Amino acid sequence: MITAERKPFAEIKAAVAPYGKILVVGCGTCVAECAAGGEKETALLASQLRLDARNEARTVDVKEVTLDRQCIYEFIDQLFPLVDQYDAILSLGCGAGVQAMAEVLPKIHIVPALNTTSISETMEQGVWREDCRGCGDCKLDRFADICPITRCAKGLFNGPCGGSKEGHCEVDPDVPCAWHLIITRMEETGRLESMSEIEPPADWSRTQGKGPRKIVREDQKTP
Amino acid sequence: MSDSTHPEGNVAIFFCRQLDPEQDANRRPLEKELGSKVRFFPLPCSGRIEALHFLKALETGARKVYLVACPEGACRYGQGNVRARKRLDFAKALIREIGLADDCLELVTAKGPSPISIDDIARSLLA
Repeated sequence: MITAERKPFAEIKAAVAPYGKILVVGCGTCVAECAAGGEKETALLASQLRLDARNEARTVDVKEVTLDRQCIYEFIDQLFPLVDQYDAILSLGCGAGVQAMAEVLPKIHIVPALNTTSISETMEQGVWREDCRGCGDCKLDRFADICPITRCAKGLFNGPCGGSKEGHCEVDPDVPCAWHLIITRMEETGRLESMSEIEPPADWSRTQGKGPRKIVREDQKTP
Repeated sequence: MSDSTHPEGNVAIFFCRQLDPEQDANRRPLEKELGSKVRFFPLPCSGRIEALHFLKALETGARKVYLVACPEGACRYGQGNVRARKRLDFAKALIREIGLADDCLELVTAKGPSPISIDDIARSLLA
């Protein structure tokens, strides 16, 4: 899922400082899974804002609500009855969620409370690792389902750099060498001979550098 | 660091009810004596505490929040008291983030095996 981290409180506080009535809106999907913007985190941030205001003898009206998803317009519609009561929305959605909210609610300032970081997997409770950069040209089957773009610090396509030590990356020794993992898995699954095939450089122009990508499925659209 | 907790506020005591199976009866005398100055929150395990519980206690008038957990190795659910420590540390980080003194939150590890009267524990904390 998309993973994010909450911004430092000082940054959030500065961003919402001009507003007296703030609606803190969480998202119940990706950012809930990575414990950044779900219902609990939303309640925590709202509570912090109220405690901080009380500490400084300021008056601020902070309420919180969590949508199932912030990236789907029909869920954002639920905020229509509320939005006129507030000066700003503090969104704990990912970048897509914040922008979708702004599309649906253009008249109110939407302030992001998270830094969206990556597409990740949950390795264990409390640990999320980036797996995918959304390159748009997936070749995971060529690399034993370990993405060299994301998991190799140098993004190499045709084998290791030679700098790894005891299976760990020379750029970050805490990270396993992706090519060590790829070759190990290829060996274990009898696919090692595919290493002899040269993988050409990615043609990034096919999928990147043209502004925001869009997918249109006519069969999915409502008439 | 400033102290935003209510100077006149109450004391909130979250506690593992496995420590005192008679906790419902044992806490009543103190509640009667102190009224709203003390609030008890029994938990099925200290590991069920959430950072939000601490912040909400502060928001609603607590000047001090205690979490009373079972001794190390004595949690009947295994790691509940270990998890409780981590959640308390997380809540303290949130408190420090807004410039408050984090000593308004305190983990108390009960001494000795249960049952221990929650009334005795609470009186020692409030003394």
